Amino acid sequence: MRLHPHITQRYNTVQFVMLDVLLALLPIMCIAWLAYGELALNIFATAVGAAIVTEFLFSGILLKRWRSVFDGSAIVTAILLACTLSPLTPWYVVAFGAFAAILFGKIVWGGLGKNRFNPALVGREFMAVFFSSIMLSPHIWTTNGLVQTATSTFFPMAADAYSEVYLQSLVYKTGGALGEYSIVALSLGGFYLLLRNRISWHIPLALLTVFIALFWLVPAAGGRQFSLAGVLLGTLFMATDMPSSPTTARGKVYYGGMIGLVAFLFILGNVRFEYMSYAILLLNGFSDRISYTFQPRVWGRSTDWKQQVEKIFVLTLSIFAVTLAVLSLYYYNLTAYVVYLYILYIIFKFNFSLHKKVNNPV
Amino acid sequence: MEIGVLPDPALLYLPLATYQGDMDVVVDAGQSVTMYQLVAASSGTFAATIHAPVSGEVLGVTEIAAERYLTIKNDFCYTEKALTVPDTAAWTSEDFLQYLLYAGIEGSGGARFPTHLKYRVAPSTIKTFIINGAECEPYLSADYILMKTAGAKLMAVLQIIQRMLMPDEIVLAIEQQHKELAVPLAQMAKQFGLDIALKILPNTYPQGGELQLIKSVTGIEIAKGSIPAHHGMIVSNVGTLWAMAGAFLEGKPYTERIITVSGNRSRTLGNYRVKIGTPLGHILRETQHEWNQQAQTVILGGPMMGRAAVSPLQPIHKGVGGLLLLENADPQQMNCIACGYCVDACPQHLMPLEFVRHNQEEDLHQLKAFHLEDCIACGACAYVCPSDVPLMYHIQVGKEKLRQERSDTSV
Ligand code: SF4
Ligand code: SF4
Repeated sequence: MRLHPHITQRYNTVQFVMLDVLLALLPIMCIAWLAYGELALNIFATAVGAAIVTEFLFSGILLKRWRSVFDGSAIVTAILLACTLSPLTPWYVVAFGAFAAILFGKIVWGGLGKNRFNPALVGREFMAVFFSSIMLSPHIWTTNGLVQTATSTFFPMAADAYSEVYLQSLVYKTGGALGEYSIVALSLGGFYLLLRNRISWHIPLALLTVFIALFWLVPAAGGRQFSLAGVLLGTLFMATDMPSSPTTARGKVYYGGMIGLVAFLFILGNVRFEYMSYAILLLNGFSDRISYTFQPRVWGRSTDWKQQVEKIFVLTLSIFAVTLAVLSLYYYNLTAYVVYLYILYIIFKFNFSLHKKVNNPV
Repeated sequence: MEIGVLPDPALLYLPLATYQGDMDVVVDAGQSVTMYQLVAASSGTFAATIHAPVSGEVLGVTEIAAERYLTIKNDFCYTEKALTVPDTAAWTSEDFLQYLLYAGIEGSGGARFPTHLKYRVAPSTIKTFIINGAECEPYLSADYILMKTAGAKLMAVLQIIQRMLMPDEIVLAIEQQHKELAVPLAQMAKQFGLDIALKILPNTYPQGGELQLIKSVTGIEIAKGSIPAHHGMIVSNVGTLWAMAGAFLEGKPYTERIITVSGNRSRTLGNYRVKIGTPLGHILRETQHEWNQQAQTVILGGPMMGRAAVSPLQPIHKGVGGLLLLENADPQQMNCIACGYCVDACPQHLMPLEFVRHNQEEDLHQLKAFHLEDCIACGACAYVCPSDVPLMYHIQVGKEKLRQERSDTSV
């Protein structure tokens, strides 16, 4: 049956969406390459290679879709994952992470779009669990000796003046994960995505506003360390990931705000490094419910505010409950079990329900 | 740009389907008819009429693509039934409505709602009479060309409407892209002693949708399913006014209309005046095209809401604004990536992706909970979907299921 509409937007396909994300990631990758040269490129290349092979094999075997490599999503996932890694991560760990991101983050859900969690972050958590000693060793995060283009190269003037330090931290300052060296490069990518309507302003604005406001307002937060660039990477590229974030505008505002809040709570609860990943993954789990709760008001109809407020209240309570649960697990060093449970759950789901729905569009 | 005229076809197929149900043929096979003679009519609330666009012989009723049509063989003599120009000055509002029915006037924008019903309102309850000059869809320019070339006729009709409905104000809504029409139309209105306000609309689709148009003009948002006249508003399409002009000023029933021939496979872009019932195969031939389903899709109507033709015999009816020739598309369906573009695009503020999900799960309750019944089938969601998810298919099937359920429970 041929149905209307008989035309669609020509340059708006999944491939173009992915291409735009890749273009937006280009500045950060360039900075990483500047900083660590081949070392950085190796990480990106390993991740992309492993992701493509995984996508091809498993999408073919499990979903019978051999061509899905061409949608470009595997490459995006791999690069995003690489952005969260240290330049010293061993290649096999990187490859494992990319493999886990694609297989457990996406394919076992039924392929691109059906995943409920951000695949890059799923991959990262798998790495943290299965290679915990490597991922958490201070050794891989000590990279100063390997920097190829020193920060001072960019700012040869007074290296210790206050404004210089400030500029450096905005434009180019190595330290931490590959995607965290330049706030400017990150923002550039973010603006590009905004301009191309690949992300909407709702999530980043709400997230950053809440997060920063809390740091100002809550005295207990004083002195706690966090990486602004890391938060930005998470905000612009992870929290806005289409399949795992809500679809409605108001839902996005709430979702972004809650990620900011939960990430802040994690920082207060002494979660190190992982506060952004945890907060985003946690809210990923709620994104459908958030979309439903924050449905747009139907044209010409009015909203039942009382019911609406009740729903939002219950939703917020559940999010707090899960946040507390995660904090306690973290406190007792039990987060790894979440990943084990996740694996069991997803395999069960795949075997018993998913394969029937693999070829459905939603 | 001018309105082209095409030679008339030898055989015309008059659609017997109307807004609701089918009309009854009032002539016999083999009988000869004169131009403008009444050939089919229906009674009841949704009464409708159709007249012979040419003189000739009635061949009988045929079925094309599951719809009934009355075939008339054109004798090319154009023997006219004597036309009497109505004395509109002496009309009461009942005369006015009766004449609309008599002349077979119905909405030319697509839905084909009978105009005499739309205009049947309690005296002096209409606050705003809106002329929809926004082209309903991309590619179409039939309304534009009418405003450009037939302004005087439209104004003359508006004078009559003004007298009959006595609205507080008349607003002409046109799109940004046709802004240059504003001044000449306003001047013309003044010559006719009409006080017409102009409203410039953005070029976005679906600006011509009745509910969205009403909001743009009056700021009032009315829900789908409620009747604009109950809120003091009537919207009429430029094409409808033009049909009225033929009836009121010359006594001609609605037997011809302006259509746009366009599309990315069209070689002779333009607007043409064609007789209702002209098969599209004939129009294709006369505009140097051909019926070739392998190479192209022919759309009756606009690209967003029009229907793909399945037979070259399918004719132009009163609600068809265009004939589009589009390259055969090869959609690459992928999973929904939950981008939310469809949600942003929906003029009714719905969540189209949910219709797909819940239709697949046969979950009628959820379909209702997500307000499927408020969907105006504009196609905007499917237009923006990067994954080519078959949104319209699921919307249509879902609506059908809801209809089914309603009729089951009402029995
Ligand atoms: S067709 Fe799509 S965009 Fe248009 S009203 Fe229906 S759901 Fe909304
Ligand atoms: S536009 Fe298409 S891919 Fe995007 S949410 Fe809607 S149905 Fe899914």
